[in-house]
Amino acid sequence: MSSINTHLEMSASTSDVSNENADAFVSIRGLEKSYGPDIHVLKGLDLDMQPGDRIVVIGPSGGGKSTLLRCMMGLEEIAAGDITLGGEGYISAAPAKKGRNNLNKDVQKRVGMVFQHYTLFPHLTILGNLTLASVKSRGISRQDAEAKAMGLLERFGLSDKAKAHPSQLSGGQKQRVAIARALMLSPELMLFDEVTSALDPELVNEVESVMLQLAEQQMPMMIVTHDMWFAKNIATRVVFCAGGVIVEDGTPEQLFGNPKEQRTRDFLENVLHAGH
Amino acid sequence: MNYDIDFFYVLKGIDQLLEGLLVTVQLTATSVVFGVTGGFLVCLMVMSKSRLLRLPAMTFIEIFRCTPALIQIVWIFYCVPMLFNVFLDPFVMGVLALSLNLVAFNAEAYRAAIQAIPKAHLDASVALGLTPLQTNLYVILPQALRLAMPVLVTNAISIFQQSALVAIVAIEDLMYMGKLLSTETYRPIETFTFVALMYFAIALPVMLLSSRLEKRYKAANS
Amino acid sequence: MTYTIDFLFLLEYWDALLGGLITSLQVTGLCLLLGLGLGFLVSLMRISNNKLIFAASTVYVELFRGTPVLIQLFWIFFCLPLILGTEISNFTSAVIALTLYMGAISSETFRASLLSIDNDQSDACVALGLGPLTKIMYVILPQAVLRAVPTLLSNTVSLFKESALVSAVGMADLMYIGQNISSVTAKPVEMLTAVAFIYFIIAFPLTRSVSMLERKLIHKIAI
Repeated sequence: MSSINTHLEMSASTSDVSNENADAFVSIRGLEKSYGPDIHVLKGLDLDMQPGDRIVVIGPSGGGKSTLLRCMMGLEEIAAGDITLGGEGYISAAPAKKGRNNLNKDVQKRVGMVFQHYTLFPHLTILGNLTLASVKSRGISRQDAEAKAMGLLERFGLSDKAKAHPSQLSGGQKQRVAIARALMLSPELMLFDEVTSALDPELVNEVESVMLQLAEQQMPMMIVTHDMWFAKNIATRVVFCAGGVIVEDGTPEQLFGNPKEQRTRDFLENVLHAGH
Repeated sequence: MNYDIDFFYVLKGIDQLLEGLLVTVQLTATSVVFGVTGGFLVCLMVMSKSRLLRLPAMTFIEIFRCTPALIQIVWIFYCVPMLFNVFLDPFVMGVLALSLNLVAFNAEAYRAAIQAIPKAHLDASVALGLTPLQTNLYVILPQALRLAMPVLVTNAISIFQQSALVAIVAIEDLMYMGKLLSTETYRPIETFTFVALMYFAIALPVMLLSSRLEKRYKAANS
Repeated sequence: MTYTIDFLFLLEYWDALLGGLITSLQVTGLCLLLGLGLGFLVSLMRISNNKLIFAASTVYVELFRGTPVLIQLFWIFFCLPLILGTEISNFTSAVIALTLYMGAISSETFRASLLSIDNDQSDACVALGLGPLTKIMYVILPQAVLRAVPTLLSNTVSLFKESALVSAVGMADLMYIGQNISSVTAKPVEMLTAVAFIYFIIAFPLTRSVSMLERKLIHKIAI
């Protein structure tokens, strides 16, 4: 009798897990990505993101963190696996199509990304940078786009820079503009790829404050960063990505305080020592 | 098209063309020798502290870089004998014109190369206690030559193409012989195509070699 | 025979020289516009993945960079009429030849500037959901053109200098007029010097403007 109950319990918990997956905001399964025949960066990576999650991805160089984000944005062709967002199919590998993936462009429009080296358009003004995509790709009128842009610039304290060119801004200012540019398109998910790594230390804070602001507004985020203090502050979950897979996954307290895997421990020790 | 393509006539005149080619190659080679050495000397003059050396050198460079090569050739051909009361062999006048042109462009190439040497190297020389002469000889010169080499080669190829202009003052180079042959045989298409291919066959390997050297240099320095 | 230099007689011929200069400038201007358009198209072909397009455009560029402009001009002037079966004026053949020349050298300039634009810019366009046409017209092209301007100015000066060759096919440009008058008056020193001087006062400011432009552009847009 008890064995039948146990069996029922087990099947119930399995269906709970699959229900959890069905509710997951982002679901990544079996992601594989190689550069050429020898360099396998992602080796069957699985990751789920719950609604409202802010995931910080930490890990060693070459472990696949940035590649993961780039795949999430649809910037890389994946060799295998699939990604869903909000229950909809987003990206899936299609080996039959000679390496071009199935990419749902409507879903892609709901994802925004900020890069390590700002990647603003140098020949446009700040206002031009912010409004280009809205006006040209979303069919929003120039006045509406400019109004929204000025609103964002004011929120970030950069409204006096609207007519300036990127070359006239500091790194921190450029990065905040890059974030505003992504926000112009009202994304449902924001990806941040080492956005403070290229900044002078005194400029890091202004960018991280903006990201914390976004966190307060419940913006779902996936963040790759080296700044462990910031990770603890902003993340709802921290994942340790190494060797092309997620090695460990937990809340900041769990992962930083009591890492379960040895690899995680080793990495954290090195990082903490290197920082001092 | 009422024209039968027939390269036979070109091949009959191949001796003429080869004579012309010899003149072209001699013109180019001589001009390159003068151009590479003269260019360096003029560059030193341009970069010197003395105004007496710098200003004439700068004027010379600008004149020869901002006027057509054709007018330089024609000017030397018609004016030098009259002005200086000398009779010069046409070949010599051709070399003179092409060399002066090449010297001007090469001087600029050397100057850009010297200025491209990172200041850090000069600082290192001071830190190592080298005299100015030693610095010039062992640090600046080798690097300047290496940096300038691609441009010097490009300029040499360019002077090779420009040498065709001496045909206009009736120097019997490849271009001149080609034009002569085309009128003799009434076969401009074959003749001019063949002559163009002759120029190309010489220029192409040099251009390829130069870009390969440039790539190796870039790889070695990144 | 000593030669007495007398520059005053030049004033008699100033209108002929002006006419020649205008012809030179017209040819240069026309071939500049046509050549830039051609050069840009060819540069796109040179970065295409299609092997046939790449090969054809590469052969064109290498041929026109690897042979003397004079022979290109002679070929067009003497051979093209025979191939097409019609007569071609020296003006037309000059324009065709110089356009093809300018197309070849400017295509290299455009190609270099297109290739110098970071891949990051493409990434940003994907992240912002910009379509391919928008990306080319509003992001890539403006940057490529701005980066190419200094070198294109140098290419223009080269074109202006090569335009002197059209005198060899009998076009009454500045060079032709100058040579004519100097042989008619037997005063080559004054006349040819004057002609050289006229070429110089047009080419020299153009070359100076290159460095000035580079400084201003780089200062403002950091491209």
